[in-house]
Amino acid sequence: MSSSTLKPGSNARPTAECCSAGRTRASVSTWFTGLIRLLLSILREIFDESAYARFLARHSISSCPNAYAAFLREHGTAKARRPKCC
Amino acid sequence: MKKSIRTLVWLGVSILGALALGTIALHRGEEINAMWLVVAAFCAYALGYRFYSKFVSAKVLALDAQRATPAERLDDGRDFVPTNKWVVFGHHFAAIAGPGPLVGPVLAAQFGYLPGTLWILAGAVFGGCVQDFVILLFSVRRDGRSLTEMAREEIGVVGGFVAYAAVISIIVILLGAGALIVVNALKSSPWGVFTIAMTIPIALLMGFYLRHLRPGKVLEVSFLGFILVMLAIWGGQWVSQTPTVAPWFTLTAPALAIVIIVYGFAASALPVWLLLAPRDYLSTFVKLGTIGLLALGIIVLRPTLHMPPLTRFVDGSGPIFAGKIFPFAFITIACGAISGFHSLISSGTTPKLIRREPETRMVGYGAMMAESMVAIMATIACCVLQPGIYFAINSPAGVVGQLPESAAATISSWGFPVTAAGMHALAQAVGEQTLFNRTGGAPAFAVGMAHIFSSSLGGQAVMAIWYHFAIMFEALFILTVLDAGTRVGRFMVQDALSHFWKPLGRTSWYPSILATSALIVAAWGSFLWQGVKDPLGGINSLWPLFGICNQLLATVALCVATTIIVKMGKARYSPVTLVPLVWLVAVTFTASWHKIFDPNPRIGFLAHARQLASSATPSHEMSRLIFNDRLDAAVAGVLVCMVALILLESISVWVSVVSGRMQARVREAPFVPTRFAAEEQG
Repeated sequence: MSSSTLKPGSNARPTAECCSAGRTRASVSTWFTGLIRLLLSILREIFDESAYARFLARHSISSCPNAYAAFLREHGTAKARRPKCC
Repeated sequence: MKKSIRTLVWLGVSILGALALGTIALHRGEEINAMWLVVAAFCAYALGYRFYSKFVSAKVLALDAQRATPAERLDDGRDFVPTNKWVVFGHHFAAIAGPGPLVGPVLAAQFGYLPGTLWILAGAVFGGCVQDFVILLFSVRRDGRSLTEMAREEIGVVGGFVAYAAVISIIVILLGAGALIVVNALKSSPWGVFTIAMTIPIALLMGFYLRHLRPGKVLEVSFLGFILVMLAIWGGQWVSQTPTVAPWFTLTAPALAIVIIVYGFAASALPVWLLLAPRDYLSTFVKLGTIGLLALGIIVLRPTLHMPPLTRFVDGSGPIFAGKIFPFAFITIACGAISGFHSLISSGTTPKLIRREPETRMVGYGAMMAESMVAIMATIACCVLQPGIYFAINSPAGVVGQLPESAAATISSWGFPVTAAGMHALAQAVGEQTLFNRTGGAPAFAVGMAHIFSSSLGGQAVMAIWYHFAIMFEALFILTVLDAGTRVGRFMVQDALSHFWKPLGRTSWYPSILATSALIVAAWGSFLWQGVKDPLGGINSLWPLFGICNQLLATVALCVATTIIVKMGKARYSPVTLVPLVWLVAVTFTASWHKIFDPNPRIGFLAHARQLASSATPSHEMSRLIFNDRLDAAVAGVLVCMVALILLESISVWVSVVSGRMQARVREAPFVPTRFAAEEQG
């Protein structure tokens, strides 16, 4: 709601400002939550947690020491062949 | 945003960038604030990304938003996975960010802050970012092919062989130079040695925790590992101050070299999950945190640069490494400006994660910009030191003298005042016995970083903690590269040997594992040993050799890129990769010539060998030094000849295509429309 739609002298103006501030807070909060989620996704990918989750989904199994050992066998070879940059 | 406002914003960025560059380039005789470097860098990257990378995307590469990537077409949930572009960006940055952008700029600062800064900015915007971007896209269009495979398919058999040889050479020399940096940072430092030694049981513990206690919880265990490492740093102070314990961890350079060689062999032969993977996670965790912290520290504290823009050593008489700005500044700073090694990452895992073709621009070009910013931060970290301190730390005993007083007098005579008492006080403040002759760049970077952090967080009282945190960070970083590099080199040797005898290629057959591990460790170990025994500090010969190898690999990558652009029928746009290629050929070939044939014994390997042969009585030690010089000359010569071959083969292809003698045809995967475009529209 823009302020140009409000009637002069009505008490709607502070409410509109309040709504606008609330919306801003909500959008900042959404943006911030999205940012945190994104950062976590990046970290999960870098630290191979996502790769493990995909492995579990692909084989339809749940996480356990044996599942992780199987993941390491599959993923470890590829990881070891990856050069680390200078 | 309206077009006129956008134009005004970009005009403002251009003016601000020009002002910042003018300030850092034209100020003489007075100190400037580090923020000018940061502003110049941000503006250069913003303009480069907005305009140059967009031009490359649209005109040269013609990125196609409708074309399915291999991550979509070959999606197997394992190697090929369509991934969010920011996630791929983070993953790619974590893979390309190594110790190179931290060490190279510190060494190149002997010329002053200006040459390195200008090369980092121009090299990245017009060279490094373009290389990473185009190689990434070409790999995406070829189902994630590696650089060596693309070289073989697009240029020829020689191209493929040269790319393979360049990769293995660079790995070996990189590991030798990296290990030498660690040795120089940790020699006679019980605190540093204890901290790094503790990272091994911490990594083993992490491996056990991950495998048996909390499978797959890598972030959690990395955080726990980080806490344990911080405790190890704190405990290191107690170790260094306890007379009965300190001698166990006080090691000479040769002793440390042997320990690192044994460690490298063990790390290569042990199962990945036990040591390599957890160390990699720990190193990445510390790396990302420290880079972020350093960026925050510089922006919040805005330190002043004490290093002049240009020093007297632009004439080639530098104490850290000998040689003039051209070509040596350009091979000393590779990562951060342009690094051939990145082309291996851009044609490795990353292309298999790209969801949409246009995202290659942000991932390839953008991540290299972030890496370049790390190099700018390293420049700032060492240039906030007083130049006398910087040279006292980085100059080898063979140049400035063994005794603190003589070293201080020599450095002061260059116009950079420093006193033995002042250096002793600084060493005490950071918990070291001495900071003289700590060549390699890591200690100078650590002192600079500790100086920046201690200005606000904890003051002088915790400077020693910050210093050892920085040393731990760099050593951990380099040792992780050492683990991974030894193993990658081992696999490459096994692949090559399997052509002669199949069992040698089996990665699970222990005789083959041990033999090939020993071969790779012996190769980089010999370079390390050579550096440790070198009276000029080792870095003087090893780092330029590493820089030459790295830039030669970039030459190979740019040959591949230019060939593909020409074959795409876009020869008129080939200067995008051809100009950086010509520059790199000029730099690497000139540098190689100097390193082999220069009559100055501090520069030329052969002149140094002749000087040794004529000036000393023959001994076993002397014979080995002479042999090492000749070996270095031969390595540089062979690499240059191989790259000359690939260059000639590439030129032949370009001429054939342009003259119409060869059909312009690239070997891309067939076009398949992407389903993601429709999903996004729907």
